[in-house]
Amino acid sequence: MSAVWRTARAAVRRRRLQTTVIGLVVLFSTATIVVALGLLDASSAPFERAFAAQRGAHVVAAFDGTRVGTADLTRTAEIPGVEAVAGPFAQVVLDIPADGAAHSFLSGPVTVVGRADPGGAVDRIDLWAGRWATGPGEIVLNAVPPPPGRPSPFPLHEKISISGRAAFTVVGYAYSLTQTATAWVSPEQAAALRPTSIQMLYRFTAAATEREIDAGMAAVTGELPSDALVAAQSYLVVKQAAAAGPGVYVPFLMAFGVLGLVTAILIVGNVVSGAVVSGFRHIGILKALGFSPRQVLAVYLVMVCVPGGVGCVLGTVLGNLAAEPLLGNAYQGLGFNPGDSGVPVWVDVVTLLGIPAIVVLAALVPALRAHRLSAAEAISAGSASRAGRGLRIQRWLSGTRLPRSVSLGLGLPFARPGRTTLTMAAVVLGVTTVTFATGLASTVTGYADATDGNDTVGVRANPPGSELETPSSLTESQIEALLRSLPGTSRVTVNLDLEFSLVGSTQPVRVIFLHGDVGTQGYPDQLVDGRWMSRPGEAVVPSKLLRERGLAVGDRITLELDGRQGAVTVVGETMEGPPGPPGILADRQTLAELAPDRQLANHQFLFQVQLASGADVQGYLAAVRAADPGLYAFDNAGTDSFSVAVVSLAATLTLMLGTVTALGVFNTVVLNTRERRRDLGMLKSIGMTPRQVTVMMVTSMAALGAVGGLLGIPLGMLAHRFIVPLVADAAQIGVARMLLHVWQPEVLGMLALAGVVIAVVGAFIPARSAARLSIAKVLHNE
Amino acid sequence: MPAPAATSSFAAMTSEDSTGQVVVRLDALRKEYGDTTALDGVTLQIRSGEAVAVMGPSGCGKSTMLNMIAGLDRPTSGTVTVHGEELGRLGETGLALFRRKRIGMIFQFFNLLDDLPALDNVALAGQLTGIPARQSRRRALELLDELGIADRRNIYPAALSGGERQRVAVARALMNRPALLLADEPTGALDSSAGEQVMDLLLDLNQIGQTLLLVTHDQGLATRCATRLVELADGRVAGERTLERAA
Repeated sequence: MSAVWRTARAAVRRRRLQTTVIGLVVLFSTATIVVALGLLDASSAPFERAFAAQRGAHVVAAFDGTRVGTADLTRTAEIPGVEAVAGPFAQVVLDIPADGAAHSFLSGPVTVVGRADPGGAVDRIDLWAGRWATGPGEIVLNAVPPPPGRPSPFPLHEKISISGRAAFTVVGYAYSLTQTATAWVSPEQAAALRPTSIQMLYRFTAAATEREIDAGMAAVTGELPSDALVAAQSYLVVKQAAAAGPGVYVPFLMAFGVLGLVTAILIVGNVVSGAVVSGFRHIGILKALGFSPRQVLAVYLVMVCVPGGVGCVLGTVLGNLAAEPLLGNAYQGLGFNPGDSGVPVWVDVVTLLGIPAIVVLAALVPALRAHRLSAAEAISAGSASRAGRGLRIQRWLSGTRLPRSVSLGLGLPFARPGRTTLTMAAVVLGVTTVTFATGLASTVTGYADATDGNDTVGVRANPPGSELETPSSLTESQIEALLRSLPGTSRVTVNLDLEFSLVGSTQPVRVIFLHGDVGTQGYPDQLVDGRWMSRPGEAVVPSKLLRERGLAVGDRITLELDGRQGAVTVVGETMEGPPGPPGILADRQTLAELAPDRQLANHQFLFQVQLASGADVQGYLAAVRAADPGLYAFDNAGTDSFSVAVVSLAATLTLMLGTVTALGVFNTVVLNTRERRRDLGMLKSIGMTPRQVTVMMVTSMAALGAVGGLLGIPLGMLAHRFIVPLVADAAQIGVARMLLHVWQPEVLGMLALAGVVIAVVGAFIPARSAARLSIAKVLHNE
Repeated sequence: MPAPAATSSFAAMTSEDSTGQVVVRLDALRKEYGDTTALDGVTLQIRSGEAVAVMGPSGCGKSTMLNMIAGLDRPTSGTVTVHGEELGRLGETGLALFRRKRIGMIFQFFNLLDDLPALDNVALAGQLTGIPARQSRRRALELLDELGIADRRNIYPAALSGGERQRVAVARALMNRPALLLADEPTGALDSSAGEQVMDLLLDLNQIGQTLLLVTHDQGLATRCATRLVELADGRVAGERTLERAA
């Protein structure tokens, strides 16, 4: 065994470049695989992961404090089947008026719970901004944190007024996955608010199904007064609700994960098997020296396993480091904050076992072939004459008008069809990934732009009667005129949101009346089916609402407001409307027909302003406030966390896969150079310049890159075409044509270049080193 | 297969230098590889039309000297001037262009490209200089024809005999009408019959004016083809004499 080890060690030392390449390829591939598997894990069980991290409540229960005492509720923790409890907590529902927290997302009925701290055995709340509420008048609001590195969109120290009750100061923002409250205050503050119920949070030993949860709750309430339980919410309901949102994200993550996995494995296989094949002559010499076939096999396995093992360990570390912010972003995109967004342990275990197995397998296949060859055959295998189509192509190329260095380079890939195929596959997958990522980024940003209200600035009038803000005295049309007159304004759409009864349905429906620059501000771009409204009495409805209400384009629906009914015709289906719950979109003139007597106040309107290119958003906001202190203008141009997550994912994985692919190409050129040292020396001896040698070697890979580009682009486009509708379906939205037609000729041209660039970048360094080969040494060594 | 006879058309393959000009001038040439001195102050001149054989024991610096003259390696000190061009002044690209125009090389192991048939191996040298493919092939075919292996033009090197391969290599070396033909053990890998053919070929080439520098262990080759013998020992010129060609 010592002879095997000594020989392998010497071979590793002698082949430093090859050892380094194997190590680097395995390192980057492993890192990519760790990130890819982490993404697959995130996409397959994001809720479970976040739920486990927060020790979410299986049941959030509210008890009537007049029917059951806190001592009785505390004793429920001892009931068999109850794993852990949190509570009792005083709970009260406060009604925050629309002007109570004018600048935050908070209004309407909110559940406020008194908790001394965010920790505990159940529902470990993530306090991500500010501090916990400890004193009177302090409140912590429940909100999803922003993506890592991005500032919070919610201000601290905001005042919230509640008519007739109290005024609070927001001292922190926290997040409870199971939504145990809308806001938290200290227990003393909760007591002062005259709580109406007592909250208990339960975790059960068995809670996988609704039946098990019902059984758990039956055990809990069994010894309590029959009407003590006011309400109970299972985590399964929250999970189901969460699935509709995160569903948008899952196919993106999976597609990237699978692409990363396949490309990385292919390249590891290519590099390792190439290293063994290039060592056939060495294998023959070892056999001639008296090494048994098994010993030769062992030498080669050790040779590739040493750098492979080191690369695997370092790659796992790098993958974990790279995955953390990436997965953090991904979870944010899913709307979860799992606290620890690191790679799960199983990914590290699978990678640390799987990658070495792939390395061994990739080495084993050609090594077994060498194992079967006689010493003489192995020695001559590296320089054996080749025949067939490859040679015919090379001959044909030599007769073309191309410069000889170019035609020789174009012929090189045909000399080693197996290696060329593997390298080509890697380039194809690389280009497919780049294409898919580019299309996806365009789609996602297009989607975000389209559904972001198509504005950069939103403006509202402060409501009258507010103690906190000065109301505006301007009318709706005066505000519109004011905004249009401000420097930097490009377009303005005025948006009025009213709730109507939908005749034939028990639930009301939101109707958004638009006027202004609707046509040029992106709304019609969101059309999925039908056409945009062209006259009063026509409406366009978001896909989600159409499905929920069982409507279709062409339907005529009757709406009722203020006791007056009117009909509108659905003429188009759109992806989504302005921010908020989906609503029917109609022209402002339609309101005049449906509710001509409706009195409207200026604060009911949202003015969506699109700024001219290059306009300073913050300067514009200041200008609005200066023009009328009664107006509240806010920056609405920021990209949402979903876009940030997808685009950052796309960029990072594309970069990693591009690096791995370029390393694969690098390795192929290194091997080709080594195999062709004699040929290169001869070519230089008859007058081939270093530049021509570089051109020849780079051309050989650029050709693969060009073909890879031509194959990878349609594959990437197909993946985009296939996955985007899946995403849309998961999110219950139709696919607007603009989301699929993201391919511009110049973009496709750039993508076609991507394969060539990856190949050329990978080939350039070894090609330069080939050009610098010492002819005297190479030819003399023969 | 008999060696081709020297003919007037064969003469058109070689350079048109007038006899007597100094083609190669080595001045105090020294080459060290680490602690080893391969060449130790070699001074030598080769005139146009000469056939010089360099002989000596293994490791005496024969091949190193050949490499210096071909511009494949650079001296530690001293100068190499070929056809009036001091090679030390040339960069890598300049050396490549110099080899392309001025030098033809024949190696012991032929160094043909396995992926190209005989004709394209020869034409390659012409194509590298920018001669169009068709024209290069035409000249390559003429050369192969003169060397008696035109019928083997479409055969790949692996299927050629050693002698045929070396003749293809000679044809390639002559493709650009070099001022100097360098041959490093040109018969070293051939059997005696093929070796004889190559010797005849080199003799014919020199007789029609091709300047020739042979590096060899083969006394027979030297006495048959060379007009002057230079003996190297320990990196120095140990002796030099004019040869009478064997009949």
